[in-house]
Amino acid sequence: MSADEWWIIGFTVRVAAIGTLLILPPGLLLAWLLARYQWPGKPLVETLVALPLVMPPVATGLILLRLLGRRGALGGFLHDRLHFDIVFTWRGVIVAMAVMSCPLLVRTARVAFEGVNPRLEQIARTLGASERRVFFSVTLPLAARGILGGVLLSFARALGEFGATILVAGNIPGRTSTLSLAIYQLVQLGQDTDAFRLLAVSVTIAFLAVWGSEWLMTHRVRSE
Amino acid sequence: MKSPFKSLVLALALGSLPGAGWSAADTPAPVELNVYAAASLTDAMKEIAANYQKVGGARIALNFGASSALARQIVEKAPADVFLSADEAKMNDLEKQGLVLKGTRRSLLSNTLVIVVPADSALKIASARDLAGPQVKAIALCEPQTVPAGIYAQQYLRKINVWDQVVKKLVPTENVRAALASVESGNVDAGIVFKTDAGVSKEVKVALEIPAAEGPAISYPVAVLSGSTKAEAARKFVAYLESPAGIGVFRKYGFLIRPGSPAP
Amino acid sequence: MKLLLRNIRLPLANFALEVDAEITHKVVALFGPSGSGKTSLLDLLAGLRRAPEAFISLDGQVLTDTAAGVEIPTRHRRIGYVPQDGALFPHLAVRENLLYGCNGKPPTDDGCSLTFEHVTEVLEIQPLLDRGIGRLSGGEKQRIALARALLSSPRLLLLDEPMTGLDFNLKGRVIEYLRRIRDEFKVPMVYVTHHLEEVFALCEELLVIERGRVVGHGLPQDLFVVSNEPTYRLKRANPE
Repeated sequence: MSADEWWIIGFTVRVAAIGTLLILPPGLLLAWLLARYQWPGKPLVETLVALPLVMPPVATGLILLRLLGRRGALGGFLHDRLHFDIVFTWRGVIVAMAVMSCPLLVRTARVAFEGVNPRLEQIARTLGASERRVFFSVTLPLAARGILGGVLLSFARALGEFGATILVAGNIPGRTSTLSLAIYQLVQLGQDTDAFRLLAVSVTIAFLAVWGSEWLMTHRVRSE
Repeated sequence: MKSPFKSLVLALALGSLPGAGWSAADTPAPVELNVYAAASLTDAMKEIAANYQKVGGARIALNFGASSALARQIVEKAPADVFLSADEAKMNDLEKQGLVLKGTRRSLLSNTLVIVVPADSALKIASARDLAGPQVKAIALCEPQTVPAGIYAQQYLRKINVWDQVVKKLVPTENVRAALASVESGNVDAGIVFKTDAGVSKEVKVALEIPAAEGPAISYPVAVLSGSTKAEAARKFVAYLESPAGIGVFRKYGFLIRPGSPAP
Repeated sequence: MKLLLRNIRLPLANFALEVDAEITHKVVALFGPSGSGKTSLLDLLAGLRRAPEAFISLDGQVLTDTAAGVEIPTRHRRIGYVPQDGALFPHLAVRENLLYGCNGKPPTDDGCSLTFEHVTEVLEIQPLLDRGIGRLSGGEKQRIALARALLSSPRLLLLDEPMTGLDFNLKGRVIEYLRRIRDEFKVPMVYVTHHLEEVFALCEELLVIERGRVVGHGLPQDLFVVSNEPTYRLKRANPE
């Protein structure tokens, strides 16, 4: 494994981890709102959250590119005012990964929250706990394993992200080259042996992440 | 229950009756040729194909892309009849593997490299060395190891000793039209494409033209592929490309014409 | 205590819960067959459910008034709840469950000084303090749930069939303790049950609910004829 290849592996794991951590707070909040509350327009929110899961990743990438490009609504502001670029930088990789893996996190976290007996939360309230305390002392600990499973799953998804990443960040060697982008390029170059080497790494990491996720989700703390 | 085999035989028998579409007395279906062409030829080839059909020639199904990607498809037995590559190297590879029909190869066209910037850009590029400067943060370029436009660009940048300074800024793209699109979007500061590509886009402007004398030797070979089942029709089409009708369209789009001769 | 339940209307699965009553004694029993709406009424008292129409006030403080848009949140009501299945927190040990309502600190003294040692001693749960709740019997869970509610210094205690799973001896001891809570610590209780002997042992007032309606309200001995037969007979002539 060459130094470049180690860089690619390290970079991919790093940005996937950062992306997953970034979506954790908003993702958990959204999952909790979806699990515990009803409100008009809720089906619309559920559909929007699920969209990146079923849309072609390049389509999502295109939307992100338009939004975050130097002439885009958000990207233009960042570029002109803050001299800050997202597209074709490592930040773009993180954004693409985060958007594509968020639906998985929200879905599994929602199931985890729904698995917490609401009676327990009610009792906690009668014992004087504020909503914040109920969430952090009862709901979250009981949903923790399921949530962790969801985190691993969305991390694995982020690792494998390609379609949106290549549009938003390109495959710039040493700057935005992830495992999937590098494998694609090696295939383009006809360097199949090298491609298979990276493929093996990619599969191993994904395998471990998904296995861990499945184990966690089936060994949840059972709440009455 | 009838066996499926019997049903199949019955269907075939019925299908071979007169009027069912398989009779040999029908006129032959119009010939369709699959032409694989480098992305930079997109607009020119579309016009030529339309003209060719108007004068009674075969229908042309066009497949555009990076010459490297197309060459690989041909190696993988894609049903191509004619190949127009943006560099000789890809054609050489195919010839080595016996995929080129002997005697049909010609070096047809040439092109010029240009540095383009978004149409509304204020960037000043007086020489290619300016690409190393701090105002240029991202440069769109075709994949420099495989795609001809990228290979040509890398050759040139190495020649003027600027490659090492710009390599960190390069945003590699799959083909030359993708590089053009990157510049059009404004997400990169500059791009290196063919002059003919810059010519078809209103959203970029040419900042600098690399003079043919200083730039790399660009050559577009064309050939009929040995796997073609319509070699006669394919030869006719290649002849049309070299005819005044074809040459005229290429010139119109800014291509340089090489004297037609088989590649060395 | 004085507990006002006025114009309560809560649609349930097959019928509507409709209650209009004034409770004046310290321990009132909600008696009736399963599914008659008793637990829903407890939920309303605790603020865990909202009714389209209701007025609830406890000792003069309005907890719910749908007409005026008043709904005191559960955590401010200081109403303890012992549900039928105990609902202990599975991720906390017994001790942490017990101390949840005191925020981990010992309960404050406000005329309801139930100390940790005292409560755990009388309910006989001291040997269980450091156990995880996964290995407790049903009866142990009930007692811990009761202790947990008490330790949060409630001014009203709601008990939903709290004797479920307790053996005969323990029932007697717990009833004794509940009497002490009633008399010495003066914590009023609303007690849901369908065992008549518990009603007579502990309760001073009785609300009989069938299919969401109050079909009897008064003193236990006025409503029921206690005979040597194993069944009871409800006097339908109901003095309100």
